[in-house]
Amino acid sequence: MKPPMKPLVLVIEDDPQILRFLRATLAAEDYQFHEAATAEEGVAQAAARQPGLVLLDLGLPDRDGLSVIREIRRWSQMPIVVLSARGQEKDKIAALDLGADDYVAKPFAVGELLARIRAALRRAGPQNQDGTDRVIRFGDVQADFEKRQITVGGQEVHLTPNEYRLLQVLIKYAGRVVTQRQLLTEVWGPQHTEQSQYLRVYVAQLRRKLERDPARPRHLQTEPGVGYRLSIDATQSGDVSQSRDVSQSGDT
Amino acid sequence: MTSPAELPGTDEAAVDPAEPQPRRHGAPASLREGGLAAAIVGIATLIALGLRPYLAPTNLAMVYLLGVVVVATRYSRRASVMASLLSVAFFDFFCVPPYFTLGVSDSEYLITFAGMLVVALVISAQTARIRAQAANAVERESRTQALYRLSRRLSAQTRVFDAALAAAEVAEEVFGSTVIIFLPEEGRISFRKRTSNQLPISTAEEEIAQTVFDHGRKAGRGMERFPHAAATYVPLKGASRIVGVMAILPGSKGEELQADQQHLLDLFANQTALAIERTLSQNAADDARLQMETEEMRSSLLSAVSHDLRTPLASITGAATTLRSQGEKLAPGVRDELLESISEEALRLSRLVGNLLDMTRLESGMELRRDLYPLEEIVGVALQRLEPQLAGREVAVSLPEDLPLVNVDELLLGQVLVNLIENAAKYSPSGSAIEIAAEATSGVVQLEVRDRGRGFAALEEDRLFEKFYRGKSEGVRGAGLGLAICRAIVVAHRGTIEALQRAGGGAVFRIRLPLGARP
Repeated sequence: MKPPMKPLVLVIEDDPQILRFLRATLAAEDYQFHEAATAEEGVAQAAARQPGLVLLDLGLPDRDGLSVIREIRRWSQMPIVVLSARGQEKDKIAALDLGADDYVAKPFAVGELLARIRAALRRAGPQNQDGTDRVIRFGDVQADFEKRQITVGGQEVHLTPNEYRLLQVLIKYAGRVVTQRQLLTEVWGPQHTEQSQYLRVYVAQLRRKLERDPARPRHLQTEPGVGYRLSIDATQSGDVSQSRDVSQSGDT
Repeated sequence: MTSPAELPGTDEAAVDPAEPQPRRHGAPASLREGGLAAAIVGIATLIALGLRPYLAPTNLAMVYLLGVVVVATRYSRRASVMASLLSVAFFDFFCVPPYFTLGVSDSEYLITFAGMLVVALVISAQTARIRAQAANAVERESRTQALYRLSRRLSAQTRVFDAALAAAEVAEEVFGSTVIIFLPEEGRISFRKRTSNQLPISTAEEEIAQTVFDHGRKAGRGMERFPHAAATYVPLKGASRIVGVMAILPGSKGEELQADQQHLLDLFANQTALAIERTLSQNAADDARLQMETEEMRSSLLSAVSHDLRTPLASITGAATTLRSQGEKLAPGVRDELLESISEEALRLSRLVGNLLDMTRLESGMELRRDLYPLEEIVGVALQRLEPQLAGREVAVSLPEDLPLVNVDELLLGQVLVNLIENAAKYSPSGSAIEIAAEATSGVVQLEVRDRGRGFAALEEDRLFEKFYRGKSEGVRGAGLGLAICRAIVVAHRGTIEALQRAGGGAVFRIRLPLGARP
């Protein structure tokens, strides 16, 4: 199923050392690769080359990286993954609100970066435009949206309507971070965006029903200060076969 | 009524036409007293005239002496001396034949006059002295009271300006006039640094205050130098230097301070000066101590940080250069080890920098971003962050399902947990389990992180949370910041954190957070 040519990644980053290892990593993964060291150049290259994905550092020498997202989003929905530092949750949320697809906090391990890139590309892929696969599997969990049936290890679990919708939204953005505001809007409606503690309570309930150990969730992961991420690309837990299932389930 | 006391009186106004009130009011007072004394002698004369047909003239002298006693107990010594002289004269004039002349028919009466005069003068003198003593005692008493009040007010002040303010306030009460204390700013008396908001003196007087400050001698109103100034300026002379200037304005009636009040003023100024000086040196000592502590902290921070930054950097540099120069010759296992140490050490550096940043932010008074969170979620995030360090480690988490939400800053409490769990992993054998448990009791959530390590030395419990304190275990490195940050964060949440010896070996770190009202 490996596509013959991997997409072009535009890296907008000014630090030569970071660029160096990104270049090595992406080359090793067969991605095509192009660099821009300033925001100005980054926007120009994004327009000229129409890359499959943009990897954007928020700390650029000429302009705020957030302005790059704003400009690209005026004319393109190309996936944008942001590189940011830990502790700058505000910047992360701002980037996501402006339309970035995901972020990786520096310092990051390469595996994490590649997982984010894969998730972002998958979301942008043609087969998943509507974001509603009928059957999704991750870990012990199987979600059949046709039958509205969720099973964990073959056992059916009952979800309340809100829990079900929450899971649906998380699966729609599988692998990507979803901000609290976005989840609240999509599950409860735009007038409930401030009630993030509801959201936390529902996530906790969902974890109890779906996760083996809710205090050490494999899939329903918290992005502190930002939101949640449904991790189905489970590279750490070793259930790679299931994650393949997910990426293919749209075709079946 | 004519009296010798009428003598001066008008020259004052001539000296200072701008001043409606005479500066010394001794003249009108003695004029009035003189008049009254004369009136009393007059009354004595009327009584003596009434008694004259019945009594011998020598006995009539007693009536006059009675009058002198009345004058002496009420009025000044001058008035009673005047009354004494007047009495002898009137006695001679009205009571000793031939009447209505100062001549005397019987020279025997000269002895009566002499005796009468001596007795009257002695009465005057003694009465005056007794009165002066009584007045003195009262004066001393009130002065002592005033000084006591001043010293009490002053001793309560820890800031120079507050001390000056208190002194000015007490002085105003005692002297019944406006008192302002000016403090110097870099050696200059500044009218801006003063104890009173209203400034009844023009800033033009600043120069006089400055002169007083420079030379340490009183000047201004009623003084030799600058007698036309609006206020009297008194230097506040401490033991080693002059710390300010006190300005006393004339009272509401424009009266000057009496000599004894001048004396009291000096005592006042002296006490105030000593208090200000003491406060100044106390502040200087505090500053010096703070400075020293800061320096000490900075140097221990520097040594801790430089050590902890250099160690992983050394490992990284070593491993990387080894790989570069001998990469081909190394066995694959060795290369993997070197690579692993590079990434581990880099992570360690990253955590250290994160902790340093957190500490700095906490110490600069960062605001908490609190909201209600399930504890489970915060524990989960911490365990997720520590995944590499906990690989293969058993972590037993026991959180009751009905645990209430906690009102915390999620990132900061998460950092506390990361530090505690990381510590537990660091200080206990790699095969032993780490336990995380929580329970809620009346209004408090208690969270514990337990390990089966060697625990810590007795009496070490409190020191553990100090900045840059390192546990006694060998072979474990750290900046000694982790637990200090934990405490800072927990305290910011109004909670407590303590280290306990665990029954059966190991350590327990217990956090208690108040559940508080829901927002």
